[in-house]
Amino acid sequence: MTTMTKTEGEPALPGSDPFLSVRDLHVRFSTEDGIVKAVDGLSFDLERGKTLGIVGESGSGKSVTNLTVLGLHNPMSTTVTGEILLDGQELTGASNRTLEKLRGNKMAMIFQDPLTALSPYYTVGRQIAEPFMKHTGASKREGRAKAIEMLEKVGIPQPKTRVDDYPHQFSGGMRQRAMIAMSLICNPDLLIADEPTTALDVTVQAQILDLLKDLQQEFGSAIILITHDLGVVSKIADDLLVMYAGRAVERGSVREVIKSPQHPYTWGLLSSMPRLSSDVNEPLSPIPGTPPSLLNPPTGCAFHPRCEFLDLVGGTRCATDRPDLPAGRGSACHLTAEQKQSVFIEKIQPRLG
Amino acid sequence: MTVYMRRTKATLVAVAAGALMLTACSSGGGGTSKNDTKDKQDQNAKQQQSQITFGDAAASTGPAEEVPGAKPGGTLHALERDSYTHLDPGQIYVSNEGQLATLLHRGLTTYKLDSKGKYTVVGDLATDSGKETDAGKTWTYTLKDGVKFEDGTPITSKDIRWSVERLFAPFITNGPAYLQQWLANTAGSDYRKLLPDGPYKGAHLPDSLLQTPDAKTIVFHFPTAQPDTPYLMAMAGYAVVDSAKDTKEKYDKAPVASGPYKIKSFESGKSMTLVKNTNWDPKTDPARHQYVDTFDITFNHQAPDSTKRLMSDAGENQTSLSFANAVDTKSTPTVVGTASIFKRTVSGYQPFVGQINFNMKKITDLQIRKALALAIPTKPVWQALGASYGAEYAGGYISPTLAGYQKSDPLGKVAKPDGDQVAAKKILTDAGKLNTKITYAYINTAAGQEYSVAIADALKKAGFDVQRKDLPSDTYYDLIGKVDNPYDIYASAWGADWPSTLTVIPPVFDGRTIADQAPNYSHVNDPKINSEIDRIKAITDPVKAADEWFKLNAYITTDVIPGVPTVFYKQLQLFGSKVGGVVYNNVTSGIDLTKLFVNQ
Amino acid sequence: MLRFLVRRTLGALVILLFISAFTYFLFFAIPHDPALLSCGKNCTPDNIALIHRNLGLDEPIPVQYFHYMVGIFAGRHFSVGDCSAPCFGYSFANSDPVWPTILNRFPLTLSLAAGGIVVFLLVGLGAGMLAAWRRGTFIDKFFSSVSLVLSSMQIYFVGPIVLALLVYNNQIMDQPKYVPISEDPVGWFSGLLIPWCVLSIIFTAGYTRMSRSTMIDQLQEEHVRTARAKGMSSRYVFFRYAWRGSLIPIVTMLGLDIGTLLGGAMITEFTFSLAGIGRLAVDSVLRTDLPMLMGVMLFSAALIVLFNIIVDAAYAFIDPRVRLS
Repeated sequence: MTTMTKTEGEPALPGSDPFLSVRDLHVRFSTEDGIVKAVDGLSFDLERGKTLGIVGESGSGKSVTNLTVLGLHNPMSTTVTGEILLDGQELTGASNRTLEKLRGNKMAMIFQDPLTALSPYYTVGRQIAEPFMKHTGASKREGRAKAIEMLEKVGIPQPKTRVDDYPHQFSGGMRQRAMIAMSLICNPDLLIADEPTTALDVTVQAQILDLLKDLQQEFGSAIILITHDLGVVSKIADDLLVMYAGRAVERGSVREVIKSPQHPYTWGLLSSMPRLSSDVNEPLSPIPGTPPSLLNPPTGCAFHPRCEFLDLVGGTRCATDRPDLPAGRGSACHLTAEQKQSVFIEKIQPRLG
Repeated sequence: MTVYMRRTKATLVAVAAGALMLTACSSGGGGTSKNDTKDKQDQNAKQQQSQITFGDAAASTGPAEEVPGAKPGGTLHALERDSYTHLDPGQIYVSNEGQLATLLHRGLTTYKLDSKGKYTVVGDLATDSGKETDAGKTWTYTLKDGVKFEDGTPITSKDIRWSVERLFAPFITNGPAYLQQWLANTAGSDYRKLLPDGPYKGAHLPDSLLQTPDAKTIVFHFPTAQPDTPYLMAMAGYAVVDSAKDTKEKYDKAPVASGPYKIKSFESGKSMTLVKNTNWDPKTDPARHQYVDTFDITFNHQAPDSTKRLMSDAGENQTSLSFANAVDTKSTPTVVGTASIFKRTVSGYQPFVGQINFNMKKITDLQIRKALALAIPTKPVWQALGASYGAEYAGGYISPTLAGYQKSDPLGKVAKPDGDQVAAKKILTDAGKLNTKITYAYINTAAGQEYSVAIADALKKAGFDVQRKDLPSDTYYDLIGKVDNPYDIYASAWGADWPSTLTVIPPVFDGRTIADQAPNYSHVNDPKINSEIDRIKAITDPVKAADEWFKLNAYITTDVIPGVPTVFYKQLQLFGSKVGGVVYNNVTSGIDLTKLFVNQ
Repeated sequence: MLRFLVRRTLGALVILLFISAFTYFLFFAIPHDPALLSCGKNCTPDNIALIHRNLGLDEPIPVQYFHYMVGIFAGRHFSVGDCSAPCFGYSFANSDPVWPTILNRFPLTLSLAAGGIVVFLLVGLGAGMLAAWRRGTFIDKFFSSVSLVLSSMQIYFVGPIVLALLVYNNQIMDQPKYVPISEDPVGWFSGLLIPWCVLSIIFTAGYTRMSRSTMIDQLQEEHVRTARAKGMSSRYVFFRYAWRGSLIPIVTMLGLDIGTLLGGAMITEFTFSLAGIGRLAVDSVLRTDLPMLMGVMLFSAALIVLFNIIVDAAYAFIDPRVRLS
């Protein structure tokens, strides 16, 4: 590392009084091989009722960020610095008891694989009702009634009987609906959905996304949608954060980022996405190289070993000097605004078809 | 008999701590707890020389001589390794069962051990040890008045006849066969033809063999002279069985007692409780007492377990002892070296004499056998058995427990237990037999490995080309017992059935008995030995016979050299501090159960 | 469930049949004649032949086996006594009836096993769960190393030491012995306390390590994370979610151990001079006592098979996925 970690500029997304505010978050795991910098100086804001998409490859730190927000990281081996403010309440360093009260109540999470994320040993109804009973002190009977209500809300047919089913008796889509019911049962202000549709069929994916959207409108929750699929994000998110190697590399509204992406990594992500309009014979353009090791991340811009456009910047700047992410709409790249625009129009857009 | 204990998997060494074949032995040490080691050994040495006598009516009259300080009452706890397999007198052969039988069963004769340590064969159910007529062929016994079974029914001559006749039945396979063979005048199992079904289908022995003219009189008519009859009748295997309550095979589990104790409960492999037999009349019994109220016997106590418990002398262990377990060899030094524990011990002989057999079918050259006998050290065997409390160097094949024992050392093994490899090598060199190949089969136990290595090393030093061959301990005797076994030398041990050499020399050295599994493991077939056996058997004077046997023993040891005698087996036994009347009995080869009492 | 049980029971009977045939025929491969047990010093060929006839060993082995199997269901007549079904015959060595002997020895073995199981479950699972709960701390390291040390201990080593310390030298505890619980519950407890603790030593370590590692695995399961994400307390998550998931491997191991222990804890029985099924098994092997050996083998095998069925049935209670599929 030749550059010191720098605090990124204050993001200035539209609106004020962000509901969730993450500032200069660092998450490090100590492992036998050394220290893994899973999240390295991340900042973002999220307002009530809005949806923030976070995209990036596996290992880019997007899931870790969100587990850290909920405090689900392993405290023995993880060091967290920075600020996480939820509705003005500091979460880093908060006691387990405080976090327990918030989890499932004010903030909830939906996991990627609803099969493994639901316990096989207890009925769906019980698992859905548990946070409700815990946070509201409701009785078992009330919990069950609430679970049935929630199941109905998420579109499970015959919820009165299905409430007593076990997760393995549900189809994949139904399980994810149950997961959603479980996460929304306490009407959380913040919902973190970690790849909620990845494990599902495409048709089911759309239904689940629609459901999330509908429920967001009803409950007014803020949603963080973690995905590696820009298509999913474009359907539901308002804002978008692109992460690479534990850092945010591009930020903007969904429209901005999808229509005029600025970072070579974002270009790569977009290029590697299959499109319905494209010729089936046309090969996809995956990003060359492999994701970087977080044990020993590349110096300078972490993306530089895989970047096609090093020459445009010239010299060794990309390898030595880490670019900052400017506040608001922008990207962390040494290319000039003009270069970004011309490269995107000339080289990238044709690929996107 | 051999130290061949298949049922307990005993090995040559383990046998020292375990159940042994029942033996009748001659005068021997009756060392008591009050003596120190040296006294005990002196006493043993003295008593070895004494001649056992056949008691008359006066000697056979009860009650038995009081044990000094004895008090009635209380419970004794016995910690035994082996459960009792047989309780039917006809099936009893092993020593722990024979020892127990002294409490339960009575025969025509028994051994009386007096306070001076002298053994006498006396009348037990009978009024004396037997009246001999017709040059030792006819023996007459008269039953005492007042002898009863545990249910109170009097013991009559009918019961004695029944007890003898049932020995011919097919289900009696385990007990001794002497009496049957003597009556039928045959060897092996041919005696069964005399009365194939026993008395159970109405057939009986003819009066020409067994006469019971009235309820009290029994007359045995043997076709040949049987001067050892008083000894024979004292074997547990010939004790009385209740003819009215003979349940055949089932009698082995629940026999009818005639001795001072009866079985209250018996859980095979777990425990046994003996209580007083109220129908036993002390006035009829010259040898036994009934001081203890209850014997509480539990099984499965290996020697280390019983030794540790008795050493601790804690709680119930104070009133505990082990009838048959010896002190664990590993604990012997502590037991002997701690005065407070050592005073709670008795020691004495076991009937076994160990030897290293030379396979006469393979080693035909006398010079080679002579060299082997000189070269083999006996010290390693002695050490493996626990040194002086487990063994004593043997000069010949006849145990000190036998009548008329004479100390001798013709091969010089007692004087030189390390062997004389130099002299042996000279014999080999002179005979031009250096590097003769010797296959030495040894029992594959820890002790067997240890002493066989030492012996093999000595033989190498003497100029032999030795190959050791390990044999599994559980089939050891099966393998060396084969007439055509491929081994040159191997160890065995043999014990007498009663204190006369008749039960040693003929079975072990008579060339006409060679067969698979027969105890003539060296396969000796020497015409002079065979003819001498026949001659001495016919001598009716026991003193003269004993003398002749010892002469034959010397001839076998030095002139035939079918092996080299190693040790006489001994054992050390321990008991709790509140156990009284503890005396070592060489007949039952263990603590004498009939004199025990509880020191409250 | 009923169908499951019927199917498994039939399967078990087939297994037992196979074991019985295997044992019976293999017995005759032992180079040792059981008749030699019963001929005292008179092991002449005639006498041995007679004993063979007495024991029924003069028939061809398949015929003997057939009679044996028929006897189990229909009873048999022996010279030592009649034997009603289930008839496993009489011991070659001492004419004890096999089935009553096994039933007589079983209470001790059952008591020994039950107490030992309670001890090693309490201690083993307790330590393992505590180590998993405090993973990486001193407590975890302490329990992990203690279990490593204990797992290298042997009953025949620990047993005599414990006896020497607590019984012989200091008389703190009673001499181990077995008294039926129906006769004297206090004596039963105090007599078996040392054997229980010593017996449990070798098992405890296994359960500690197993429960620790399965709990740690379970704590990393996604559904456990979900439960935490729902705001459930650590304790609730630990005992309800993770614990439930780690039950399957523990019950599997326990089922096998119970089956084995009920077949006799030989070394423990020898160490403490207790006469249970294990002792009986060893003795019957040493004495080439075919009927007793067969009886004990079948009895032990039946228990092991039975506990396998119980374990499989228990899966259904633990894991609804098994129950309903």
